[in-house]
Amino acid sequence: MTTKGNIDQFRQSFQEEARELVVDLEAALLLLNENRDDEELVGRIFRALHTIKGSGSMFGFEKLASFTHNLENAFDENRNGRFKINSELIDLTLAALDQIRAMIEDGSSGPVVDDAACDQILSRVRLITSGRDSQPVEASSALATGVEQTLSAGLAQDVTEWSIRFAPGPDMMQFGADPLLLIREIRQLGSLSVRASMAEIPPLGELDPERCYVSWEMVLSTASTRDAISDVFIFVSDSCELCILPITTQEAGKEPCAGDLIAAGLEERRSSSGGRRPYDKADNATSLRVPAAKLDQFVDLVGELVTVQARLSEIAARRDDPEFSAVAEEIERLTSSLRENSMNIRMLPIRGTFEKFRRLVHDLARDLGKDVELTMEGVDTELDKTVIDQLSDPLMHLIRNSMDHGIEAASKRLERGKRSMATIHLSARHSGANVLIGVSDDGGGIDVEAVRSRGIERGLITADAHLSESETFDLIFQPGFSTAKTVTDVSGRGVGMDVVRQSVESLRGTIEVASKPGLGTNVTLRLPLTLAIIDGLLVSVGDACFVLPLANTLECIELSAEDIEKANGKHVANVRGDVVPYIRLRQYFNVRTERPPIEQIMIVETDEGRFGFVVDQVLGNCQTVIKNLGRFYKHVQIVSGATILGNGTVALILDPYRLVQEALKNASVNTRLPGAMAGARESVGNSGSKWSSAVR
Amino acid sequence: MPVTLKLTKTKSTVSLEGAIDIATSAELKKVLLEALSAGKKVSVALGKATDLDVTAVQLLWAARREACRLGVEFALDGQELPEIRSALLESGLDLNAISGNV
Repeated sequence: MTTKGNIDQFRQSFQEEARELVVDLEAALLLLNENRDDEELVGRIFRALHTIKGSGSMFGFEKLASFTHNLENAFDENRNGRFKINSELIDLTLAALDQIRAMIEDGSSGPVVDDAACDQILSRVRLITSGRDSQPVEASSALATGVEQTLSAGLAQDVTEWSIRFAPGPDMMQFGADPLLLIREIRQLGSLSVRASMAEIPPLGELDPERCYVSWEMVLSTASTRDAISDVFIFVSDSCELCILPITTQEAGKEPCAGDLIAAGLEERRSSSGGRRPYDKADNATSLRVPAAKLDQFVDLVGELVTVQARLSEIAARRDDPEFSAVAEEIERLTSSLRENSMNIRMLPIRGTFEKFRRLVHDLARDLGKDVELTMEGVDTELDKTVIDQLSDPLMHLIRNSMDHGIEAASKRLERGKRSMATIHLSARHSGANVLIGVSDDGGGIDVEAVRSRGIERGLITADAHLSESETFDLIFQPGFSTAKTVTDVSGRGVGMDVVRQSVESLRGTIEVASKPGLGTNVTLRLPLTLAIIDGLLVSVGDACFVLPLANTLECIELSAEDIEKANGKHVANVRGDVVPYIRLRQYFNVRTERPPIEQIMIVETDEGRFGFVVDQVLGNCQTVIKNLGRFYKHVQIVSGATILGNGTVALILDPYRLVQEALKNASVNTRLPGAMAGARESVGNSGSKWSSAVR
Repeated sequence: MPVTLKLTKTKSTVSLEGAIDIATSAELKKVLLEALSAGKKVSVALGKATDLDVTAVQLLWAARREACRLGVEFALDGQELPEIRSALLESGLDLNAISGNV
């Protein structure tokens, strides 16, 4: 039964779809700006506007429908070859999208609709579309005076008669679509005669009150194309039977015979779809729209289940009961599949996040008077929804910074022998359990000396400090740090990069900056694939347990007293002829129990190459529900979080990449010891007490 | 209530108020069946209705046909609703075809 609750649900579902359509519209508009003759893009924009208008009207968003209708007309005019797309129309439509966004939210959140801006946009759009020197006055004035007159303008063009048969499917009305509104919309395209057929209405007792049994036969005289007519039904095309046929000139002289039309319509339908109606198709509901909150709750529950399952497996291992163990193993297998599936549901491609920045780059390029193109790579790379949600802000600040400070003015670029059009490149790729998001530009690069001087000026470093290039670049992420001489609307206050650092750290990610003077800058964000559950390897050191992410782990080898002796006390292992440096977790975490005679080295792959972590024992695989350590430990970056084991104890989840980074950093600071491997050894000894509190 | 039924000794009156659409169609069907089962003249008062959608029209159509089968008099009252009538007519739906006495 259709209730107010259902209607609210339809409205919400419309809002969600409309938000996605606006994102798609924005991307299409920006692409159109680069290729203004692309008819396919114009069609895509028209259809998106049309769908927003049509479905908006169905769900009571009248203001939105009316506003969008006027924009849609402009693109329809272009589609019909009546005027050419120009940059002003694209800018105006982009500005209109901001208003459409506000209308979609309907005052519930975000910006409110600026009526004056809407009027201004529409009057400018009308001026542009009516400013066609070569067009007859009657036709150009049609758009300027709004909706009703498109009809008379259309009639002045090449008019075609169309026969339209429209039969709503069983569930069309339950989706919130109203056939009468669609017919009203068809009427706006030209002169319409319409006949409703009540023949399919069953006896009252058998009638489903929420289904439409009426079908319509129409004859429409219009200058609009067949595409324009079928676009009216675009939102319901899967849930209705529709047949649009031209009535030839010869036949137009006589009264069209409804029977013939229906027969012709049915014939077309049969020939195109094997006699099946579109709404009969079996794959009608191959995807579902689920609120994110429900998904989060689902993943939380799976997380709890994983924890309980670990406990069950622990108990089963302690009891010598084969029947009980078999059940525990089965539950472990099922939980593992459930976890993997639930995590996959949360994975989204980064395309949507990247596409959003086309508009930012377009607007900033215009405001800054620079010519910039945005290129993308790896847009299908998938990340956890939570990570994606928090990625927009840091990326926005990085792009703004590149556009304002990185990319030089066109004249300077030409002087340097570069193309006047600059490039900002966004990229994404997987690397083990992480994803690497890159923002690079081909601008002037970071001025290391300017950063250094500013750092000294702000008291962040001493005048005689010797910093490596990467340490100098780290300064730009300090709060309030900016080398800009002037503060612009875009950047220069030194806030943006601090936000980037904070956002990335809150995602347990890291930032790497590489820059070449005169050639450009590349910022790479290394982020975990997921913030919820990972596959891990459980290891022990003394009484403490740790989890190493399985995705980083390559293999496990033994480390005997003899091996240590052979390496002359240096923390390196010989792995099939290759020298691999290692870090002793026992020393790093200051674990004071006695060392076993044979230890294990977990070899992990990092961007710095292979590294080993020496542990007492490898206990086995474990599904790890990541729990946040809380604000108190937020600066402990070598630990990604903690997890609760089956026996109820807590194990820290180590971040191998950070551990290695920390070791290398200490190696470069500590000049007493030569080489990174020795530095790694030293770092273990130096840092032990620092983390010991976290272990306990 | 958008749909109400009043039964008297001689007549069953179904009164419609406000927008009568898919949200009220199940209720309208129930009330129409109840009115017809009384076996007396059925009068549908449209005077307070502000809008009728296709689900409402097809229910009234089916009710009229049912009344015809049962030999019950069926009429629509509310000739003063030109806006609703013309809006429906634009979509090819003619209330006059339903409102004629049986």
